[in-house]
Amino acid sequence: MPLNRGNIVKWMFKTLLILLLWPLTLLAQDQSSTNVSSAGQKGWNELNGEKLEALKLNGDATRGEESFQVCQGCHKRGATGSASGAYPRLAGQHVSVLIEQIADIRSGKRKNDKMLPFADEHELTTQAIADIAAYLHALPLTPNVFGKGPGNALARGKTLYLRDCLICHGENGEGSAEKFYPLIAGQNYKYMLREVGFIRDGKRGNANPEMIKVIKPYSDADLAAVTDYISELEIH
Amino acid sequence: MMQLSSVYYRTNREQQAIRNAGKWCQMAAVLVLLLCNLSRTALADDSQRTKAIVTEVCAACHNLDGNSIDPTFPKLAGRNPDYLVRELKVFISGQRKSDLMGPIVATLNTDDLRPLAEYFSAQKPTSGQIKDVKAAEIGRKLFQNGDESRDIPACAGCHNIDASGNSRFPRLAGQHREYLIAQLNNFKNDVRNYSSARLMRELTKRMSDEEIAAVADYLNGL
Repeated sequence: MPLNRGNIVKWMFKTLLILLLWPLTLLAQDQSSTNVSSAGQKGWNELNGEKLEALKLNGDATRGEESFQVCQGCHKRGATGSASGAYPRLAGQHVSVLIEQIADIRSGKRKNDKMLPFADEHELTTQAIADIAAYLHALPLTPNVFGKGPGNALARGKTLYLRDCLICHGENGEGSAEKFYPLIAGQNYKYMLREVGFIRDGKRGNANPEMIKVIKPYSDADLAAVTDYISELEIH
Repeated sequence: MMQLSSVYYRTNREQQAIRNAGKWCQMAAVLVLLLCNLSRTALADDSQRTKAIVTEVCAACHNLDGNSIDPTFPKLAGRNPDYLVRELKVFISGQRKSDLMGPIVATLNTDDLRPLAEYFSAQKPTSGQIKDVKAAEIGRKLFQNGDESRDIPACAGCHNIDASGNSRFPRLAGQHREYLIAQLNNFKNDVRNYSSARLMRELTKRMSDEEIAAVADYLNGL
């Protein structure tokens, strides 16, 4: 291309155009990535139906304690969960997470045939779900006395946790009420191990697709290691 | 027609006797309520009216103090009044089926349900005798802890540690073993098939016949 005046003008014009449009493309990229993640959020945690209804209600912890009677046959008084890990600890969990999980089990999104009759509409009203969530959230976070892992894979578990889990579940496993990420500190090791397996293998119907993606490559040993580490986390 | 809860335990003669008793109660109930309604002003107060219904309608089976003698009839003493009213209503609506209770409750005035429930609730409940100590111990464990390996919840979760019950779940302490076994089987076999009994229908299906008897033995002794 001969270096004449016309070409220089064309080149300058192109450069100018690129410089002008560059921020726009960045913005567009940014928007498209936001869209993807919010689409994931939408599919995972659409706020509608009973979940939305319960979230809008004012939960009453005193009423919640009474409504929790129907749950404590399995989850135990004080919602400590069971030593075997068959039933999770619920004490201290975020209100949003509790409402979401109960509503999802009721709607069948999270399949749990064993629990379903106990969360039946004749046992729990939507208000009772909000009340139970308020009651459980207010319960003290006592130390994880019977739910710890074997403690033999903590270093590996820590590496995985810091790399993959911390960003959502937080440094101490506190989760996020706003984003519906559960509190996992103090949770029973065996219960968590079962559930992360379900999540990885696509068996937990209401799992966050982002999390499925992250733990898809995990081996059983990886899951055990990271769960081992989590079971040692404590919130003071 | 045969009372379903009695299928397992009663001979034909007993069933006939119970049917006769039921008819007698029914006739008595109609008569008493008729008299009560006619002479409403003559009765000094509602408690007298309640006592009259208890004496003439309920006591033949449930006894005056709500601690029935016949182990096929439930003890009502000490049971929560809200629970008793709820059950009377499901008998009246026909959701809870009983050839015996059905015709009797049909004669009751809706206004009388609450005072009747309050009356029986205020009576002192009695304990029974444990029949099989070994079974009762198995029953205690199941009642207090459940069995996680088979997703059987602890009964104590709803019915309280001392089986004293509350407004939603009945008192079971001291209840007749026979009655408890019959009712647990009524849940298990979908005889008590109304919607609010879904939970009990599900969890009794997770229990063996031996476990049902064991829990009943334990509760009877409380």
